[in-house]
Amino acid sequence: MAERYDAIVVGGGHNGLTTAAYLAKAGLKVIVLERRSVLGGATLTESPVPGYKFSVASYLVSLLRPQVIRELDLAKHGLQMAPSVGTYTPHWDGYLDRRTDHADTLREIRKWSHRDADNYDDFKQTVTDITRFIRPAIDMPAPDPYGDPKEWLEYAGLAKDFGQLPLRTKGALLDLITGSAYDFLRRWFEGEPLIGTMSASGIIGTFLGIKSPGTGMVFLHHYFGEIDGSFREWALPQGGTGAVAAAIASAAQSFGAITRTGAPVKQVLLRGDKAIGVVLESGEEVYGDTIVSAADAKHTFLDMLPAGSLPTDFETAIRNFKFRGSSAKVNFALDGLPTFTAAPPGNGHLMGTVSISPSPDYMERAYDDAKHGHPSKRPFLDMLIPTLVDPSMAPPGKHVATAFVQYAPHKLAPEHGGWDNIKEQFGDLVVDTISEFAPDFRDKIVGRQIMTPLDLERTIGLTEGNIFQGEILVQQMAFNRPVSGWSRYKTPIRDYWLASSSAHPGGGIMAAPGRLAALEILKSKRGEA
Amino acid sequence: MAAKKSAPKAAPKTLKPAEKTGKAELPPKVQKAPRAGKPAATADVVVIGGGHNGLVAAAYLARAGVKTILVEARTELGGMALTGDVDGVRAPMLAHTVGRFRPRVARDLGLQGKVKLVEPEARNFAPHPTNGTAITLWRDAKRTAAELATRPNGEKVAAGYLKLDGRMRRIGAYFEKVLDGIPPDLDGGKSVAELLAGFAFRAPFTGLEEGDGREILRMLPMSAADLVNEYINDDHLEALISWRGSRYNASGPISPGTGASLLFDSITGDGADGGASGETVVAIGGPGALISAIADAARGFGAEIRTGAQVTAITERDGRVTGVALASGEEIIAPYVLSTLDPKSTLLNLLGVEATGPELRRRLRATRNTGVTAKLNILLDQLPAFPSAGSAAEQEVRLRGRITILSDILGIERAFDSSKYGEMSDVPVVEAMIPTLIDPSLTNDKRHLLSVVVQYAPVDLKGGWTADARKTLADRAVAVLESVAPGMSGHIVARQLITPADLQSDWGATGGHAMHVNEGFDQFAQWRPLYGIGRYETPIDGLFLSGAGTAPGGGVTGAPGANAAEKLIRHLRRAAE
Repeated sequence: MAERYDAIVVGGGHNGLTTAAYLAKAGLKVIVLERRSVLGGATLTESPVPGYKFSVASYLVSLLRPQVIRELDLAKHGLQMAPSVGTYTPHWDGYLDRRTDHADTLREIRKWSHRDADNYDDFKQTVTDITRFIRPAIDMPAPDPYGDPKEWLEYAGLAKDFGQLPLRTKGALLDLITGSAYDFLRRWFEGEPLIGTMSASGIIGTFLGIKSPGTGMVFLHHYFGEIDGSFREWALPQGGTGAVAAAIASAAQSFGAITRTGAPVKQVLLRGDKAIGVVLESGEEVYGDTIVSAADAKHTFLDMLPAGSLPTDFETAIRNFKFRGSSAKVNFALDGLPTFTAAPPGNGHLMGTVSISPSPDYMERAYDDAKHGHPSKRPFLDMLIPTLVDPSMAPPGKHVATAFVQYAPHKLAPEHGGWDNIKEQFGDLVVDTISEFAPDFRDKIVGRQIMTPLDLERTIGLTEGNIFQGEILVQQMAFNRPVSGWSRYKTPIRDYWLASSSAHPGGGIMAAPGRLAALEILKSKRGEA
Repeated sequence: MAAKKSAPKAAPKTLKPAEKTGKAELPPKVQKAPRAGKPAATADVVVIGGGHNGLVAAAYLARAGVKTILVEARTELGGMALTGDVDGVRAPMLAHTVGRFRPRVARDLGLQGKVKLVEPEARNFAPHPTNGTAITLWRDAKRTAAELATRPNGEKVAAGYLKLDGRMRRIGAYFEKVLDGIPPDLDGGKSVAELLAGFAFRAPFTGLEEGDGREILRMLPMSAADLVNEYINDDHLEALISWRGSRYNASGPISPGTGASLLFDSITGDGADGGASGETVVAIGGPGALISAIADAARGFGAEIRTGAQVTAITERDGRVTGVALASGEEIIAPYVLSTLDPKSTLLNLLGVEATGPELRRRLRATRNTGVTAKLNILLDQLPAFPSAGSAAEQEVRLRGRITILSDILGIERAFDSSKYGEMSDVPVVEAMIPTLIDPSLTNDKRHLLSVVVQYAPVDLKGGWTADARKTLADRAVAVLESVAPGMSGHIVARQLITPADLQSDWGATGGHAMHVNEGFDQFAQWRPLYGIGRYETPIDGLFLSGAGTAPGGGVTGAPGANAAEKLIRHLRRAAE
């Protein structure tokens, strides 16, 4: 007789582990089934180059919900985060180096434009007001436009707040929800590197350009950033982003949850319209009262369910849900720090993010290439050197650099012959791009790991290599994520739930979908009791 | 105290302009310097701009008993809906169809029968530039589907087309009822959330069923390409339909938010009939005929219309409008001004920072209004042959619609990409009409007019719009036409190019944008041109915005003019109580 659980969680990424932890904490008998031999999903630390530890996919933490850190006591389970401060943007005519010190930052910005420096505080205030206002929405399930008015009552407070926002803030919020990151920034700024770098927040993980309407929403999504209450800060977990998953896993286990790796789920078992368990690739069957999928919407609904078990409209909507991966990850093992041609003295500018985003046109042209099925000839790069904050990531005196690269369209034009064919060539392109601003970079490389969108799809299971398990598009957010009418983690299959980033509020190391799904599941169980 | 006396005296008793503040009683600046000894004219409302929206607004105001003076800078009325002259032949200068003119406006102003409108059976003919095939979108969707069925994978494509057309008509009807009027108020404690919730309750009253309601909330921010692709898999047809989301605008079919402009362009119901094919209606005598009809109606209601009267400033005192100053030195005293110029002209050029404040100017400057659409008017000594339209007889029928020449989505995007960097498209997207097929009276002989929209040609062209640049653009457009109508270039008698730079200099549209403000979900409804001034009222007491740069948007619809006038009339009524 096969084992039986109160809840089976499919997928051991940070959201699946979070759901498991909350359910186990509530006293449920929970098992997590992970396809790979390691937990973490896209929050993963591995050592493809011996001695060097890479945050293979995701590389920075800012969106992780403080509730999760508190309620699961992640600090006790070993989570340590060091702030990653500052952004350094090399430019052909100099550089822009923004750090924590306000006066220094303004001085840097004034180098490029006096007007920008004068407007900087107003911009920060506006964005802060907006994120403060909107943040409650990422810690509540999305209300359905045709749903129970009760769902909207949860938002009454938010509605009242909106009424009380000053007109300029309301206007700016609408600009962000409907417009482009570039046009939003133009309301304050004109400096090439400032707009180039700031607009990058609007395209990360998105198959759009900084001038495409809709990227304001992605910008906003990234500015939710908050670590345990402190604002708009990014942080590096000690030991890489895999440490986040490890801490959540440890919390889950401490509450009694079982985590099984190397246990790929083949299909969800149904009885009528009800999910009753899963069958593994091995043929083994595991039974449970509640089945939770932390995989993306495509795997959850199109791959793991028997054909024809979903209502036609719903299945069509899932097929229309857009993934369109647009980014790659290239991780480097270095035997020394690169020297950037235009940089301030010291290594301070390398402590935070090194952003290759010198101008709006540079960014937009990078998108134009991708739109037509080509990797960007000159890509946007978001590079970190974690070893400057966390030396444990490499042998003494050595360093690792991790570069997020965009654009790398999952769907390539035919002439490229597929990603495996141009993978190394693409890696060289990234090296060339960095070396244009730091000529000795190429000489410091002792090893590299290239994760193309295809690799992200095959290795980690992200459909089309989309890092958010579904694009952050206005029409795919809130009550439309993943499907209008099904934004509250329930699915058309009874006792089958969605807890991945394909659900509200979306991707990033937030653990919000995992937490909110667990809370909804517990609510419905109480309803049954 | 002339102003105090004159303005109210001018108003009918039932319609006193607001006299709420002492400020309003201060003598306006104009009194200090009555130039050329001319006594300043007075009115309740001065309408700036004699395009279709200005004329519609003036007609509504006059009809309500408001003393209205309309001032148009150019010597003739019509703005961008103009019947002009190409080598001695009357031709539609810019807009060449009037299909989207709102029936409600025509009814209110009694325009029916005053202008002869013709709607061809063929709405849109799309010859493929390279493979010799063609698509015709007919007024009758079933007829379209029957022809589509003969294409590769045709059965599926035809079914998808009918499904999309049905969806667009149902949603278009909702637009007509809810989004075509004065935008709802998001303010006063109300919120986006409440507005969205409102869909749930408003839906039954608009006959919008839940499925369509959910789709609207999803489709508005979508790209036209994604929207159409969910129904149709056919490169040429997808490009043809989604193109309407970017026509006249600095966007491509892949740009998010063009779903909103596509749906807005497809308004259906109350006599309008958009759908997946879009409207094609031609006014006999050119769009100018419609303009004359509206102008006659306005005059009939008692509005005074002045041409050659350029406004150099909107005069105000302590944040309250006092009238307008004209280039002639004359001033018109009025407690209300309704401007149908583009918002930047009105708020940045005609008013100073002391009136608008720096914040509004900063935000308004960043609104998108880069013109990328040129107009090429061609006179031909005979009807050009479009082989892919079939026999001569068949051509006569299919060529009556809009003739759109494009190949696929990425082709349009490629044409758009150049414009982002100040370059014109190597292969522009071309949409032509042959008005003389429907209205032979324009030439009265075997000559024909080809009225051609050419995109993308950015106003801020690198190197400027020199004679060479103009020739290059015209040649590239003709080359595209030649690819589907071989030999046509040999029949060109005259050609006339109007670039976005000309729209800026000769028509006064900031950025040379045919829609005044770029269209799309980012500059839409209540936030067109900007949230806070998207409901026709402005922070300047007595100044109302209208025109294509306000909701619901551009095109020969008359809707912004009618909505703004209604808003102002309500305001006057409230003030009179």
